[in-house]
Amino acid sequence: MPPKRKASTTGSRSERASKRSTPAPSTPMSVDSSDEYSEQGEPPDESEAENIDKAINKFSLESYNRQQHQATDSASQLFGSSDFAYLSLKPDHDNRPLWIDPVKGRIILESFSPLAAYAQDFLTTIAEPLSRPTFLHEYALTPHSLYAAVSVGLLPSDIINVLDRLSKVPLPENIREFITKCTASYGKVKLVLKHNRYFVESTDPEMLQRLLKDEVVGKTRIEGSDEITKEKAPQMGGLVIPGTKNAAGVKQQPDQAQAQRTDQDAEGPAKEDDIFLTLREEDDDEDETDQVHSFEIVSDDVEVVQKRCLELEFPMLEEYDFRNDEVNPNLEIDLKPSAQIRHYQEKSLSKMFGNGRAKSGIIVLPCGAGKTLVGITAACTIKKGIVVLCTSSMSVVQWRNEFIKWSNINPDDIAIFTSDHKEKFSRSTGIIVSTYSMVTQTKGRSHDSQKMMDFLQGREWGLMILDEVHVVPASIFRKVTHSIATHSKLGLTATLLREDDKIRDLNFLIGPKLYEANWMELAEQGHIAKVQCAEVWCPMTTEFYQEYLRESSRKRSLLYIMNPRKFQACQFLIDYHEKRGDKVIVFSDNVYALEKYALKLHKAYIYGGTPQAERLRILENFQHNDLVNTVFLSKIGDTSLDLPEATCLIQISSHYGSRRQEAQRLGRILRAKRRNDEGFNAFFYSLVSKDTQEMYYSSKRQAFLVDQGYAFKVITHLQGIENLPNLAYASPQERTELLQEVMLQNETSADVEKIDGDLFGERSGGPGSKRFAKKGARRTAGMLSDLSGGQDMAYIEYNKSRNKELKGKSQNPFMKKMFRDQAKRRAQNTNLD
Amino acid sequence: MSTSSLRSFEYLESLPGTVFKRLYRQPSTALAIFRRMLPHLAKSFVMALLYHSHPLPVADLEQWVRPDSRRERDQALSLLERLHILSIVLNPNSPRAYALTNPFKQSLRLALTGGGDHQSFGVPCDTPDKHSVDVDFLDDFARAQWEGILHYMVGSTGIGMQGGEEVSQGVKKLLELGGLVEIKGRRVEITQAGFSFLLQEINAQVWTLLIFYLENAESVSDMRRFRTLDPFRSQANISVCQLNMDPVDVLSFLFMLGSLELGQDYSLTTLTPTQVKMLDDLRDFGIVYQRKSSSRRFYPTRLATTLTSDAGALRTVSAGFDNALRAGGDSKGFIVIETNYRIYAYTSSPLQIAVLALFSRLSTRYPNMVAGRISRESIRRAIQTGITSDQIISYLGTHAHPQMRKNVPVLPPTVVDQIRLWQIEGERMKATGGFLFKDFVTAEEYDNLANYADEVGVLVWRSDKRRMFFVTRHEQIAAYLRNRPKKLT
Repeated sequence: MPPKRKASTTGSRSERASKRSTPAPSTPMSVDSSDEYSEQGEPPDESEAENIDKAINKFSLESYNRQQHQATDSASQLFGSSDFAYLSLKPDHDNRPLWIDPVKGRIILESFSPLAAYAQDFLTTIAEPLSRPTFLHEYALTPHSLYAAVSVGLLPSDIINVLDRLSKVPLPENIREFITKCTASYGKVKLVLKHNRYFVESTDPEMLQRLLKDEVVGKTRIEGSDEITKEKAPQMGGLVIPGTKNAAGVKQQPDQAQAQRTDQDAEGPAKEDDIFLTLREEDDDEDETDQVHSFEIVSDDVEVVQKRCLELEFPMLEEYDFRNDEVNPNLEIDLKPSAQIRHYQEKSLSKMFGNGRAKSGIIVLPCGAGKTLVGITAACTIKKGIVVLCTSSMSVVQWRNEFIKWSNINPDDIAIFTSDHKEKFSRSTGIIVSTYSMVTQTKGRSHDSQKMMDFLQGREWGLMILDEVHVVPASIFRKVTHSIATHSKLGLTATLLREDDKIRDLNFLIGPKLYEANWMELAEQGHIAKVQCAEVWCPMTTEFYQEYLRESSRKRSLLYIMNPRKFQACQFLIDYHEKRGDKVIVFSDNVYALEKYALKLHKAYIYGGTPQAERLRILENFQHNDLVNTVFLSKIGDTSLDLPEATCLIQISSHYGSRRQEAQRLGRILRAKRRNDEGFNAFFYSLVSKDTQEMYYSSKRQAFLVDQGYAFKVITHLQGIENLPNLAYASPQERTELLQEVMLQNETSADVEKIDGDLFGERSGGPGSKRFAKKGARRTAGMLSDLSGGQDMAYIEYNKSRNKELKGKSQNPFMKKMFRDQAKRRAQNTNLD
Repeated sequence: MSTSSLRSFEYLESLPGTVFKRLYRQPSTALAIFRRMLPHLAKSFVMALLYHSHPLPVADLEQWVRPDSRRERDQALSLLERLHILSIVLNPNSPRAYALTNPFKQSLRLALTGGGDHQSFGVPCDTPDKHSVDVDFLDDFARAQWEGILHYMVGSTGIGMQGGEEVSQGVKKLLELGGLVEIKGRRVEITQAGFSFLLQEINAQVWTLLIFYLENAESVSDMRRFRTLDPFRSQANISVCQLNMDPVDVLSFLFMLGSLELGQDYSLTTLTPTQVKMLDDLRDFGIVYQRKSSSRRFYPTRLATTLTSDAGALRTVSAGFDNALRAGGDSKGFIVIETNYRIYAYTSSPLQIAVLALFSRLSTRYPNMVAGRISRESIRRAIQTGITSDQIISYLGTHAHPQMRKNVPVLPPTVVDQIRLWQIEGERMKATGGFLFKDFVTAEEYDNLANYADEVGVLVWRSDKRRMFFVTRHEQIAAYLRNRPKKLT
């Protein structure tokens, strides 16, 4: 790989400010995860990559020496090195909820223990949740999770003490060591932007002395400033996150410790036993060490210092002291009084603003649990210029609307930057909503967008909100953070999960994971819908299976997707749920199948090639028209399409074993909008052709959700399917015809849809979509012979697209009104331009 | 009905009527069979007829049962007849009538009202035992012995576990004769029957073993005698020496044991020689405790006293065992199974861990807990060794942790379904026995023979490419092959 050109350090000040936050390299993109941004980023810097890896590996638990323990009894050899029977139980182990694996750093939590609520809260802070079903939860201690814990202000001694208190066995020595080692280097040094001057801050003066003696760091210190200044540690002080419980009453209460304590009292279990009291005392101890030391550094050398610190294995934490930032103008924004944020949103935000400053990091909440509101509340807390980046132009519009809905921001202060809207706000500061692609695109930028980019880059921003961070590879973030100067970054996602394990780079690029919600818990409390998951096994028909065994792997997938039994199951489920009054979404990654299914079943469908206007029309009909209860979506529906009406989801083809896609799709029906009727469940069906590769992928895909506590029921037979009137492909002849047709398809039909640009809205919002709309043409895969009327052209004639039917015919007075409203809105939008 | 009674039924029903007659002479046997082996309806019939002086006409009895429960009635009646408890009295002058058979009727009356000098309920020792033992000791003893046996079987699963009580030669022999283990050279291998045995309720296990014992009483006891003389004596020599253990003696002793009182010492005086001899073996099983062979008294353990009681008290293999022995009644489970197929077992017993390892993949062990998961592979492996999905499910269900019991149903339905499906998945294959013909030298020869096989209708499968074909029967083809060279020459 060619070495990356070094970022120039002689640029403008704002550019530097952005660089300081990217100590980690971009990483090569995975080849097989297709739904992420696929722009050719700069090749990563290898030496930098090595540094990071070194830093990470150094802290891996495996590297600690393990003592050899004697096998306890005959059962020991089943476990090999994972036999910890030698650990002695504490006498009162029944009251303590944790087991800790000294080798892998795994922690098992008894969720039925009286201390579980407290322990769970603590563990989500210091460890990575692995599985959270009903009874026993598993967590893993990793260097990253400890990094996150330190960055939200936990002290290593606290972590060790609390763990020891909660554990059934005495805390193993190497875990103790591991925590000390990891935390010793993490979070010791903070980079603070105060009064627009950069300070290196630490609670440990010796650490600063060490840094000062370092030849690189020492040079950067501002001449003439005092050796090291000492001041009181920042406290949450008067900072109140708007919308929280405290916002109303506690505003006058200056004492932060007290406020924090009331918080804890509310969260902790009411029962107070001995362990609990001592745990409390622990918390109080923290206040004693509240002194920080700092020295100021030359703002030009921020990146140098950061890099050097990484080499010295003291990764720097970033904090933004926004209350003392007098240079950047304040933004007039506040949450509307009606906006109440929920307890978990509050908790996640309190992690971000823990000590009155804004930390950068990632908040993980399931879809439909109100990620947008968390972002908006964060914006309302910081009250500076805000940049919001999302994945598609559709969600750009959604973000803007949400901002207007939840906050009192002046609509003029919130601007959109997409390929067809290029707005600036009139006053000194404001909010800009854009897409990743607009910001990172380097080639062929139009004059307008170049001007817009200059505007973006020419100023300093208080907060950057990064929506759906999981889809974007590190190289994009690097670019984004390079080009736009922000003081803090907030990443939002539902699934911090990638098949290629690249997710850990985000830790260094954006910040640690601040909070991860427990899906099941939210569902129990009614914040997201309760979903019944099912996997429907559809046996392959004999003919299809014969061909399946004979075919090449690519075409195989087409055969199992087009399995007539699967089609029947799909038809049956749609029929069943439409009769129940559900709104049904059917997902298919494969466009050929999508079209085939939708046409045959006479339903509306949207895929990458559907023009924007048609999409909107279909979605609006789906939401408001009682006659349109089912919509077929390709992969474009996976994220950020907000369809609160949907209560049933059927998946007929999917992207191999992607756990993330499964979780994202489930997220489509988690919106709690229709949860109001008691006991209402949403339904999630995954149709799988039996005895094919699909079965294998399916079990892989479910892994994440299953670990979140979702149970997939296997349905082998749908009751009453044979009695369904007009069941498709009921006769052998029809099935043979279908098989012939499928066999005639070329291999590309079997591929999943390629929507590289579309994910970021180029086609949907760009000039491309207009072209489509004008010509009314659709791009479909096909061979040359198709053009000459070969293949089964006639067949499509029979099934008229429902999409077309929805067009134009608006006799219904309700529809008329809707279209009027729509037109009005469009007019408004153009006025905004 | 529990498996244990099924098991003993099968054996009992195979006995000739005369044996029953002798068996029923013991009031303890009559009571035990009445209590343990009969369904409720049959019990009602017996109680109703017990003090009837005259046979009851068939029609009258049939009227007691509602027409929609005819099936149950017929089942109960046929069972009673098979056990020779009820018989039909045919009298030319009166209609067909039912009556209890005589030895049974008398014995049961005696058992219920007391009296008589049959002493079939055991004779407690009248002198105090110098080395008297308490119930706890007996429980520990029984458990050690029984777990020792299970251990011996588990130890042979290839996991290579050893430990627990040393198992006597007689028990090893019995396990082998019962087909629970196979001895291959020096190694002991558990059989499919053995695997299913391990997952049964303890009561069923005891009965299974006792019935093996009944069937093989002679050879087992012989093993004991000759062990001291020559441990390497072959089986052929053993059968020379018949000890003539009378099955009636054995059975009535077992039934008697079921009616004894736990913690009480009983005298050997009323026992027949066969029964005295049995004590040695029963001690190996942990069913009775005898300080030494020459002792004049014995103690029944909990395994004995629950033999003929309702199985409820002692449901489970080892955890339940533990709890039934210690706390009685309320059995406390230890297994948690989650919807993500992870399995957590609160146990430190190597035996329980080994049983779990039969169908799950265990990963980590803590002092009082093991964690693992069940997967398609682990279940398939278990099924291949002969464990059924139902056994696994019932094992998980009976040992479910109290936390899980708060749920209805106890086990996550998705997991239960999945375990069943994993089994069904493997059962789609249909096997056809037959013969494979291969290694043909010339295509002509292959064609010739394959076509012939097809003509006579025995061909199942052929592969022209590999010159192989498969037939259900080979006689005709062999004959054809034999005849053909003659034609050629």
